[in-house]
Amino acid sequence: MIGRFLAGTACALALSAGAAQAQDEGAPYDIYLSMSYIGNDWQAEASNMVKALAASSDYADRVNLEVQVAGPNAQRQIQQINAMVQAGADAIVVFPISPTALNSVVKSACSRGVTIIAYDAEITEDCAYNVTIDQAEAGRETAEWLVDEMDGEGDVVMVTGVPGTSVDTARTSAAKEVFAQHEGINIVGEAVGMWSQAVARTELNKLMATRDWSDIDGLWMQVGCYTANAMQLEAGREPSELLPCAGEGSNGGRIQMLPADTEVDGASAPYAPMGAPRISYASPPYSGALALKLAVDKLDGKDIPEHTTLPLPLVTNETIELCETGSWDEQKAGCNAFQPGLVSNPGWFASIFSEELPQLGLNAALVGQPES
Amino acid sequence: MTDQTLHSPAPRRTATRSFRNLKRGQAVIVAALVFAALMALNAFLSPYPLSYFDVSFLASGGATTAIAAAGQTLVILSGGFDLSAGAVVSLVNAVLATSMDPSNMEASVPLWTAIGIAIGMGVGAVNGFFVAVMRLQPIVVTLAVMFIVQGLTLLIMAMPGGFVSPTLASTYLGDTIPGLLPAPVTLLLVLVALWLWLKRTAYGVTLYAVGSDPEAARSTGLRTRTVTFATYVLAGGLYGLAGVFVSAQTGSGDPLAGNALLLPTFAAVVIGGTRLGGGKGGVLGTILGAYILMIVVNLLLSLNVSAYYSTIAESAVLLIAVLAGSLSKDSTLSLRLRDLSDALSARRKGWLVTQRPAEDRRLAFTRPSDTAPRLSFMQKYGHTLRHALPAWLCLALVLIATQAVLGNVFTGWRYWDSLLVLSSFLAILALGQGAVILTGGLDLSLPWCIALSGVLLTGLVGGQDMGLLTALPVVFAVAAVIGLANGLGVVALGLSPIVVTLAMNGILQGAALIWSGGTPAGFAPPVLRWMMTGKVMGITPVILFMVVFTAFAILLLGRTAFGRRVYAVGNSELAARLSGVRTGRVIVSVYILSALCAALVGVLLAGFSGQASLGMGDDYLLPSIAVVVVGGALITGGRGHYAGMLGGALMLTAMQTLLAGTALPFAFRSVFFGLVILMAVIALRE
Repeated sequence: MIGRFLAGTACALALSAGAAQAQDEGAPYDIYLSMSYIGNDWQAEASNMVKALAASSDYADRVNLEVQVAGPNAQRQIQQINAMVQAGADAIVVFPISPTALNSVVKSACSRGVTIIAYDAEITEDCAYNVTIDQAEAGRETAEWLVDEMDGEGDVVMVTGVPGTSVDTARTSAAKEVFAQHEGINIVGEAVGMWSQAVARTELNKLMATRDWSDIDGLWMQVGCYTANAMQLEAGREPSELLPCAGEGSNGGRIQMLPADTEVDGASAPYAPMGAPRISYASPPYSGALALKLAVDKLDGKDIPEHTTLPLPLVTNETIELCETGSWDEQKAGCNAFQPGLVSNPGWFASIFSEELPQLGLNAALVGQPES
Repeated sequence: MTDQTLHSPAPRRTATRSFRNLKRGQAVIVAALVFAALMALNAFLSPYPLSYFDVSFLASGGATTAIAAAGQTLVILSGGFDLSAGAVVSLVNAVLATSMDPSNMEASVPLWTAIGIAIGMGVGAVNGFFVAVMRLQPIVVTLAVMFIVQGLTLLIMAMPGGFVSPTLASTYLGDTIPGLLPAPVTLLLVLVALWLWLKRTAYGVTLYAVGSDPEAARSTGLRTRTVTFATYVLAGGLYGLAGVFVSAQTGSGDPLAGNALLLPTFAAVVIGGTRLGGGKGGVLGTILGAYILMIVVNLLLSLNVSAYYSTIAESAVLLIAVLAGSLSKDSTLSLRLRDLSDALSARRKGWLVTQRPAEDRRLAFTRPSDTAPRLSFMQKYGHTLRHALPAWLCLALVLIATQAVLGNVFTGWRYWDSLLVLSSFLAILALGQGAVILTGGLDLSLPWCIALSGVLLTGLVGGQDMGLLTALPVVFAVAAVIGLANGLGVVALGLSPIVVTLAMNGILQGAALIWSGGTPAGFAPPVLRWMMTGKVMGITPVILFMVVFTAFAILLLGRTAFGRRVYAVGNSELAARLSGVRTGRVIVSVYILSALCAALVGVLLAGFSGQASLGMGDDYLLPSIAVVVVGGALITGGRGHYAGMLGGALMLTAMQTLLAGTALPFAFRSVFFGLVILMAVIALRE
């Protein structure tokens, strides 16, 4: 215990010393971003938004940002973080591949006075800061919505995320708890969706090989509602017959939620308004950018909370609203879905609005360009 | 070997012998030099001097891969292949983290280390039993065991967490001599010392003998089975130790911790100069290989290489290290260069066979007989049936099980439509991968060849049907170039197919990322979507296409000269070459065929999902190999029939459909899947 306390103090001392030094010189902070896999939409948006924030007029002179990608291998991320520390990082913003595997390297980075902030997933080491949503709440709220939509009765198909991760386990078990409380709800099928629309389609195809869509009353998914709606249309069902689906915050899914007579640019079925009954939730991709902002605050000597819980972005058919341009101001006024003409990829995540980041609008997430 | 050197009569012979020893250690020496150079470069680029702390950290960072790769080295030396390595690391990590008592901060290090190693050896014994006693193909056995172990790990631990006593960390990550010798280095030195001893024992000699020529080793009276079994057990123990090390390093458990380690262990083994296929190499080189891989990551950061290029850079290091390690007067590259210059000078002199007048020079007595003896049906097709039927029988069993559990199989078309559409991807890949495996190779570049093709297609067509006319030729041309490069790497550079295609996979990954900028744009054109999801008289159009494709595949492999050459090369490349088969061309062609099949799958997958995504090929690599082997092909080449592979593709897809239809937890599904693969190959036993 004493050792730990001492280490903590040393860490704090080193931190304040580092911060004071940087301020004296007026030099920008060296901040590193260690991402996991690239090549999925969420990661690309998160990285775009981090880059946009670093390029915005508020931060351009203050931050030197360097981005590295570790892939799916935690061992590599450990090496990478250590290499960043060796290269003289002031702070490291990290998308942790494993909540636990990084603990020792994070601890040693802290002891060298480097601020570590994790986004989206958590690092359990005490000296790290975390920026996440409440995953269990996400699972619970969406499951409760689905139960209400189904009037507490019927057969549910679940499509989960990547098995063995904390995020998937927290969401899925919270949802299952809700379903278990309602006797009328039966889970008739459970597929592993790996958080990918493509995998969701393959798995749903396997699930539906021995069933008809009319045998099912509701869908609970982590990613895949957009695909499930598309598949129902391909199977010849009318848009009015679409099953209620609790799922991800992709723009394609949001556009499908709009009433069928909404006028949008560049829509083509199934990426088109159809009044699909949905609740849409997401881990917002701006969490990385917020982590960067917090890192700068921390280096400036401000106090930041150890755990920042982001408000859970939930959108239902009642609250869905189309944006014209997608600027931050417009989103602040309440819109939460983007024109297909602007966002050509339906799998793209639409929960990009943060009260605290007026630098970031649609262009930040799309191409890494800040509002100002 | 040492004895002979000591007793050798003339000093001159001693000199040549030590030179020969030096040559023998060339790969290890090259690896050591590369490592030293990279280390120096890294130190030079770093703004801070390299401190003891950094060295200690680097040592612990690469240790897990190094230890696991040491185990893999043993298996590869024996001529085998172990896909279960990463899964065992995860299993041990999960067991330790869930069973250690959080209130006991002083847990015994030897005890838990022994437990970890014992678990690994247990899994190794299962592998060893099926490979050595049941004589099944290592790659399939370990693939099945990998699925089973992954499932078990998730049953033990559903999500990251748990507790690992800090005593483990202080022992394995601390200092043996503070300020001078970090504990991980000591651990590796002990392993190397053990290896150097083991190499000289009867076991070690037999291991090399088995790897070099199993037939000869058995005929000489060596106990090949015992040694093979022991090799898998020892390797398992080393994966277990790697698992213990990960646990010490992370202080907790993660059920996915080791899964990403599999490919790096192969890369480390190969960079370290161990020959895939067995008989040459060693643990020392592998450990250096693991550290080279690790230092490259640090270098990329110091040099500020864009993340998109990192897999390309790593592949380049892999290729260069392997080439440098094998470069000599007798290496394939120099042979090919010599061949080329010989051919050129022969052409100039007009001696080349093709330059001589084309007339029939057959001797009279080789004239083919007028009547061929009629073969009975079983004589003609019995061999094929023997190997192709088990997959179809398993398929029938799975179908009956599906009918019993889920119903709706034999009563409607819907199930069959889904099954045929979903299996079409694997069935197409089976032709390419199958042809490569028939020649004794393996194509690991499929995942990113699929993804790159899909991404290229959706990017180029712009969502219009007319766009296909230009996009499809481009996609298939790119694939042909990829296949050509793979084939030339194998034939002209003389590298192992696994190395070439593994490196190609990394290069293609980089290419796909750069081309798409991280997020693939565009959609599959309507006609492609219609083909995968539309209906013609209730049938999805791609099924009709698959009927044609299957007929083409069976004719190509069974009835054409190309097909016969493929089998000839797989049975014996030397015999084929001496019989006048241009083996190089045949090998290059199968890689081109494989890349074209992968491209076709990429195009169809894009149509199926409506768009392309970068990870879309990831789930197809191991199944593509499993399908071919379950379908009756021999992984070392020369045996197999497309009809069996098709059965394998249908069987695996039906199995997945059955498992997906139940509400069984994912962990159980993984275990079942592994068991079914294992059963299928047991049914294939001679």
